[in-house]
Amino acid sequence: MTEVSIEKLTKDYGQGPAVNSISIRIAEGEFISLLGPSGCGKTTTLKMIAGFEDATAGAIRFDGRDVVAVPVEKRDIGMVFQNYALFPHMTVEKNLAFGLEMRKTPKDEIRIRIAKVLDMVQLTGYSERYPRQLSGGQQQRVALARALVIEPKILLLDEPLANLDAKLREEMRVFIRDLQRRVGITTVYVTHDQAEAMTMSDRVVVMFGGRIAQIGTPSDIYERPANLEVAEFVGQVNIIRGKVGNRVVSTAFGDVPVSGDFADGAELMLALRPEAVELLPINSGAMGAQAKVLSSYYSGSLVDYRLELAGGVVVNVQTFPRTRFADGEQVLVHAPADRFWPLGSAA
Amino acid sequence: MNVPPKKRLGPLLLIAPAAILLGVFLVLPYLNIVVMSFRMPGQGTPYGPGFTLGNYGKFFSDFFYIQQVINTLWIGFLTTFLCLILGYPVAWQLARGASAFRAVGYALVLSPLLVGIVIRSYGWTILLGNNGIINRTLTGWGLIDGPLPLMYNALGIIIALVHVFLPFMILPIMSAIQGIDPSLEAAARSLGASKVTSFRRITLPLSLPGIQAGCILVFVLSLSAYVTPSLIGGLRVKTMAVTVVDALIDTFQWPFGSALALMLSVTGAIVVVIFGRLTVMKWKA
Repeated sequence: MTEVSIEKLTKDYGQGPAVNSISIRIAEGEFISLLGPSGCGKTTTLKMIAGFEDATAGAIRFDGRDVVAVPVEKRDIGMVFQNYALFPHMTVEKNLAFGLEMRKTPKDEIRIRIAKVLDMVQLTGYSERYPRQLSGGQQQRVALARALVIEPKILLLDEPLANLDAKLREEMRVFIRDLQRRVGITTVYVTHDQAEAMTMSDRVVVMFGGRIAQIGTPSDIYERPANLEVAEFVGQVNIIRGKVGNRVVSTAFGDVPVSGDFADGAELMLALRPEAVELLPINSGAMGAQAKVLSSYYSGSLVDYRLELAGGVVVNVQTFPRTRFADGEQVLVHAPADRFWPLGSAA
Repeated sequence: MNVPPKKRLGPLLLIAPAAILLGVFLVLPYLNIVVMSFRMPGQGTPYGPGFTLGNYGKFFSDFFYIQQVINTLWIGFLTTFLCLILGYPVAWQLARGASAFRAVGYALVLSPLLVGIVIRSYGWTILLGNNGIINRTLTGWGLIDGPLPLMYNALGIIIALVHVFLPFMILPIMSAIQGIDPSLEAAARSLGASKVTSFRRITLPLSLPGIQAGCILVFVLSLSAYVTPSLIGGLRVKTMAVTVVDALIDTFQWPFGSALALMLSVTGAIVVVIFGRLTVMKWKA
């Protein structure tokens, strides 16, 4: 198991830094995701860790040893590519043997390790197939097996699920996460899909424009986003504005207590997730602000509402479809005070 | 399944022009050559009355002709091999090199095709002759005493053929390499392969379809090349194509010339089939 430490890593292609002095410490056996929109520098960072891109500045340490000057083939990494990159002219077995042959592993051991890894990815019996004879999900598992069979120091995955259909993608998420836990390998996972990053990772690194916007556990990122950009990138969010006075923000939801140093009179943005809001019938006698249903979208397990509060404030709310409200109906909305997360002063 | 007649007619109509063109101007003449090769030699006419196997008998009984086939095959093999050795790195650069080089390189590779083959072959006689530029320069510098035999031999023919046919090797290989996903090489590197190993184990085998196509093209073109061997080989070295034309035009032996032409075609076809078998790619299917 390997600890990876990235220190002030920078990549500049000559048009301003693509990756701008980022630092991440990845613990032994940790599963970390680099999350961000395309062009945020996440893939470039992964390529620098792998050794496909030279770093302009900074250090990458595997267990304390700087590997910046070490070529790809000597870094001892396992990498899974977006398009799997299986060798089309080799059978599954030959694909899996490739990395071991490069390491001059004895033939007998190669056989044993291939059998073991095929069992691990549930592809026993597929060793003589060519990649084109496998389904997308199977190719994906061969790619994983090929990266793992060499028992690398770290596992790097570059949007490995992007080419799979939705159902398979969810299956593979669980599969990869379970496999990673069992093997206990330090893993860096690049994705632009926030759900993928949240469900699989120990910690998520959110990147924008070559910089790290936030590093934290999935719940940190989701419930306590560092700024508006992060809040909006990881899932739907309502931005509720209000003036600070006497340690409370007065909003369309009523007065919300906030902790933290905010000057009286400052206008504050509060992040509120759609599922944090409760919807109640107008005559329920409960506490809450009045709102009018503008529209609703039923998706089976959930219903999404668009509501208008006093002062024309529009919020999105997501609830279970136990009680349905009609368009135009008056309802009560309520959200616990601790679900409002201050994002800082409004610009 | 019953396909409405209209639907079946569509594809037929589409290939009809090409099929008619090939049928009238390739298949029929070819059949004519086959028939011609069994005719009796004529006296003052292209062929005489009746049929015979004598033309083939003459070919197989005279070692001169067998030797010529072997020479022609050798020239074809060597030309193909040299084109492959010289062309592969160029093809690789065109497919994977810096973009600035690619545009210029592509133009350079194609540019010889813009000049007629007769002119290019004459160009080589100016370079390769005993009084040619190469020999005069080397003699002038005192590097050699007499002129090197660069012309009127197989060497000269091969040099000129390699030059003429190089683009036909480069282009298919280039397109094959372009078709290889670069992440395959990246994957090989990530698994511990050096750049050289990754080329040898991944890029090279995956470019085999291009190599195969290029080799077949160059080999077939070399076998049937006429202008270059006749200008550079002169009277001393003759390839089959030159001998065939001699038989047809100089000595007016149409039946025998036809038999020679067919023997050249058959040997070429046999070599191509064997080559195809040897380089069959199981992974493609």
